[in-house]
Amino acid sequence: MVQINLPQNSKINKGKYFKDKTGSKNLRKINVYRWDPSTGENPRIDTYEVDMDNCPSKVLDILNKIKNEIDPTIAYRRSCAHGVCGSCAMNMGGKNGLACTKPHAEIKGDIDIYPLPHLKVKKDLIGDLSGLYKQYQSIEPWLKNNSKSETTEIHQSQEDRAKLDGAYECIMCACCSTSCPSYWWNGDKYLGPAVLLQAYRWIMDSRDEDKKERLQKVADELKLYRCHTILNCTSACPKGLNPAKAIAEIKKMLATT
Amino acid sequence: MENNPLSPHIQIYRWHISSLVSISHRITGIINILVITLICFWFMFFLLGESNYEVIKLFLQSFLGKFLILGTIWSFSFQTLSEIRHLIMDFGYGFDLTTTKVTGLIVIFGSFILTVLIYLLGRSLF
Repeated sequence: MVQINLPQNSKINKGKYFKDKTGSKNLRKINVYRWDPSTGENPRIDTYEVDMDNCPSKVLDILNKIKNEIDPTIAYRRSCAHGVCGSCAMNMGGKNGLACTKPHAEIKGDIDIYPLPHLKVKKDLIGDLSGLYKQYQSIEPWLKNNSKSETTEIHQSQEDRAKLDGAYECIMCACCSTSCPSYWWNGDKYLGPAVLLQAYRWIMDSRDEDKKERLQKVADELKLYRCHTILNCTSACPKGLNPAKAIAEIKKMLATT
Repeated sequence: MENNPLSPHIQIYRWHISSLVSISHRITGIINILVITLICFWFMFFLLGESNYEVIKLFLQSFLGKFLILGTIWSFSFQTLSEIRHLIMDFGYGFDLTTTKVTGLIVIFGSFILTVLIYLLGRSLF
């Protein structure tokens, strides 16, 4: 259901202020969402003054700098730092993206960093994505083919392969799903853009023989049709993919077959 | 996990043109339903005699009445244009990020232009 306000235990308080100690003239204020599960206190916003003269270009570089030089208690996920693993997905400057590919120069003024929206927070910038993974599992994201042979290849023409472009590149970072208001209000039932894009990817795969069943499975008032083309997903995707279009294509397939 | 806080969502997420058009589409939809009901009542009152007509006429000529008329025209204009945008999207077109921005802006500005045009047309007719 639509719940605009945050629950009582999620209201955000003002946190600590970390003043710059380097004496740099080129400072930026970074506001970071913090929540420590061990204290039982409400979340807070800590503000860090960061020396931008000695900081590389991406938001993740700022976070690394804070963790290494100012406050080692801050927690966030990161791994590849090249926009491939999808670990560092978070909300920066009011928009979801990957911290490792988002240049901080693109954000004006103070930089606000929050975890991905409308998730249960595990610690600081780490949200719980287990619900999304369960939904991903529910669409059975693997090839279903009745071929008994284990030695012959299943052929796919170049044209059929091209149909998967724009869907196979998804890294499941959840930027799109957690940017979607429909997913905020109905995340327990609505599959959300990330999972539906993957559903589309398997529906479109010419080697898959389960197309009809896959389509029938997502054809549900809540699972699929909660998409109202708000298009936050497409504008959030750090890989430049278009989940909204994939969802529209699924709807079209259902309407025309 | 029960007691873990919920990360902020609508409080912090920046509005985009497409999300703004989407929520306005819903709001104008609700307004339109209410207004259509109102218009039905208005016509029903006509059946009850001329004096009712005079009262409604007086109301619609007042400042509040004119505001209501203009607001209704805008709401219908917005809904119509936005619905055309959705119709095109249902055919699978216009999902490109720049295109959605442009069509969104067309809906927003177009609704005001359409409002003025319809209002002027109505004034010259009646």
